[in-house]
Amino acid sequence: MFLHPRYAWIRQLAAFAVLLAVWEAAGRAGLLNPLYVPNPSRIGAALVELFSDGRIWPHLDATFTAALGGLALGIVVGILLGVAAALVRLIAELLEPLMTVLNAIPRVILAPLFVIWLGIGLASKVALSFILVAVLIFSTVFTGIRQVDRRLVERVVTLGGDRWALVRHVYLPSVAAWVLGNLKIAVGFAFTGACVGEFVAATHGLGYLLSFAQSTYNAALMFALILLILVVVLLIFAIAGRLEKYLLRWS
Amino acid sequence: MNLAVGDGRFVSLVGPSGSGKSSLLRAMIGLQRPLSGTVEMNLARSQVGILFQDDALLPWKTARDNVALGLTFNGMERSKALAEAESWLERLDLAGFGDRFPRHLSGGQRKRVALAQVLAMQPKLILMDEPFASLDAIVGARVVRDVVALVEREKISVLLVTHDLEEALSLSDEVYLLSQGPRAHITQQYLVPIPRPRDPVHSRMHPAFSPLYERLWADLSREVDHRAEAA
Repeated sequence: MFLHPRYAWIRQLAAFAVLLAVWEAAGRAGLLNPLYVPNPSRIGAALVELFSDGRIWPHLDATFTAALGGLALGIVVGILLGVAAALVRLIAELLEPLMTVLNAIPRVILAPLFVIWLGIGLASKVALSFILVAVLIFSTVFTGIRQVDRRLVERVVTLGGDRWALVRHVYLPSVAAWVLGNLKIAVGFAFTGACVGEFVAATHGLGYLLSFAQSTYNAALMFALILLILVVVLLIFAIAGRLEKYLLRWS
Repeated sequence: MNLAVGDGRFVSLVGPSGSGKSSLLRAMIGLQRPLSGTVEMNLARSQVGILFQDDALLPWKTARDNVALGLTFNGMERSKALAEAESWLERLDLAGFGDRFPRHLSGGQRKRVALAQVLAMQPKLILMDEPFASLDAIVGARVVRDVVALVEREKISVLLVTHDLEEALSLSDEVYLLSQGPRAHITQQYLVPIPRPRDPVHSRMHPAFSPLYERLWADLSREVDHRAEAA
């Protein structure tokens, strides 16, 4: 019964607990250098400390603002440009090479440039987050619109629908479906952009704290922050997943 | 080519593949422009409905919303269109399925929704492009039976394109045979003297059915052989 597929999560949890216990034991036995690999209990303590003295809130706030701002802007601009490119050939001709290049490079290399342009404040983080998301959404929408099911278009036309009806009943829902299908990836990108931006140069944010932990060789804090970012992103993934499931309940 | 589909008549168009049967329907409804020549019909576009082989319902709309779609395009108020749609769903044995998305309907039910979508527009003529080919035998037979009953009752004219000769003869009042394309034209006309109302399954047992079927089969074979020789 214990091996039933339904209880896989119990087995996974148990394996994780065993790993933590072995890790802790090895650390206490002096087998691990705490400078590099602190004990799980130390990491937990560091995490608790971040919250108990309230030090974490401004940083969480900064990262969330940057990531969600970049996400929202990136989705809106990505959709607008994608739709424009799909409808107007000239726009497609001008945008496609740029997007192809931006798609090909690891876009986080733009971070230092954004810092020079926009300063070490929020704007440069939003910009990085935005560029990561917008390029993804643009390609999704642009290729998506060109692959709209012809049969649906014909169906609406033969029922007497005009151009606006096509946009409203065929193109918009199709675009929404593709964007929602990529929402989780976009969320991941948005937080990547925010954290990397903060890591490069900032005064606040989880990425800034990471870089601080690095410069002070504080491995426990680093692990605690990685854990925190993981939890935050997983939480938002869950919300995005719910939203996707509800809005795409027809598929 | 001149094709007369009388009021309330069920007319089928059969012919070798490549004779342009589907293209003809698509040109009639304005989905494609004829390579040359023009299409003239003595009906307004809004009086003509079309039923395709695939259902092509909007996947993100419920069955009821799909049926109401054409009505709202024609300016009907949404609440009224939805009520109208529901009554068409009921007439097509789909009471209680209005809130389902197409994905959660069976193939036969989707076909009925597509049919309701077209019938709700109250067309004078329905063009059908092999709409029953994708259904399995029993489900297909039931949908066909209901279609026949509905168009007989509502006195709707039908132009059916099919390569299933039995289907053509059992449903139609008239069958036209198209020659091999390009430049396909009508080579034969067959009147089917089976009385209405008809049951599509039983009309195959009517004494007039077999001789007609044999004639149609022979003529169609000749068309296909003709093409083979020409090639």
